[in-house]
Amino acid sequence: MESPGSPGAKELLPHSGSAEAQVVAAAAVQDGAFAIAAGAVERCVLGESIDVPSLFVPDGADPDLLLTETARRLDAVASLAFPLSPYRDRVVPARELESSTLTAKRREIIEHATGRRSARDIAFAVGRGLYPVTVEISRMLGEELLEIAPPETSFSFSQWGLGSLLPRVEPDRPS
Amino acid sequence: MDYDALGAELRKLRENVTGVTDTVVAASDGIPIIADVAKNVEPVHISALAAADLGIARQAAEVIGLGALSQTVVFGSQGYMAVYAVGSMSLMVVLGDKGLNLGRLLHESRPVIARVGSILTP
Repeated sequence: MESPGSPGAKELLPHSGSAEAQVVAAAAVQDGAFAIAAGAVERCVLGESIDVPSLFVPDGADPDLLLTETARRLDAVASLAFPLSPYRDRVVPARELESSTLTAKRREIIEHATGRRSARDIAFAVGRGLYPVTVEISRMLGEELLEIAPPETSFSFSQWGLGSLLPRVEPDRPS
Repeated sequence: MDYDALGAELRKLRENVTGVTDTVVAASDGIPIIADVAKNVEPVHISALAAADLGIARQAAEVIGLGALSQTVVFGSQGYMAVYAVGSMSLMVVLGDKGLNLGRLLHESRPVIARVGSILTP
């Protein structure tokens, strides 16, 4: 399973401790299904791919189980105290935090919450699944550890006052 | 120079293509024009590198007979740097994380390059 919406098994494996590769691959498939369902599907193309992921689920995934669990996860995210879009909402620490009071996973999220990153971006940055990271961020928003970043933090433009692309100094011409 | 219009184009691109992390528009000699980057990314350095990158790629395209260069992409284990020629006087840099869908970026960036080009040279 490889998707721009959620980290694949290759990304999850180094962060999963001693878990077996196949367990991680199955988790990546489940997380990918959640990523698709949580986003918007514009079009769908079925194609033959010659790329075989380096980590895959040998027996495939049971579609019924996949859909049931995805529906449960969507419901879970929608019913959180602070529902957030894993793709659109970008988060930033709400205040100065004493990092020793946080769990390692929360500390990692705080470190990557620059205000430019969404839950999806943070999931890739920390190498954890989209669903667990989304749920954790939602809880942290509820506990006022994080807040939704203002647009000027999410998109911060600097400019250099270049007036024109034309030659900046009139070249000396021999008379 | 209409910086607001340039900013709007860069913002739309980052919003529309999942995995895009930073964007810079620079003159082709490596002087930055506008940038939307994270704190740890230095636009002056990125612009200079992109100008050099594009120059080499452009020369390669010419020597090999590939025609006019439109873009070059650096693939890293942690992400991507795409550099686009915007006319002959400027360039656009797009940085992406390892989850970036490169095909989607190349598709979405084509009209952006055209619009950025017309903003830069009205």
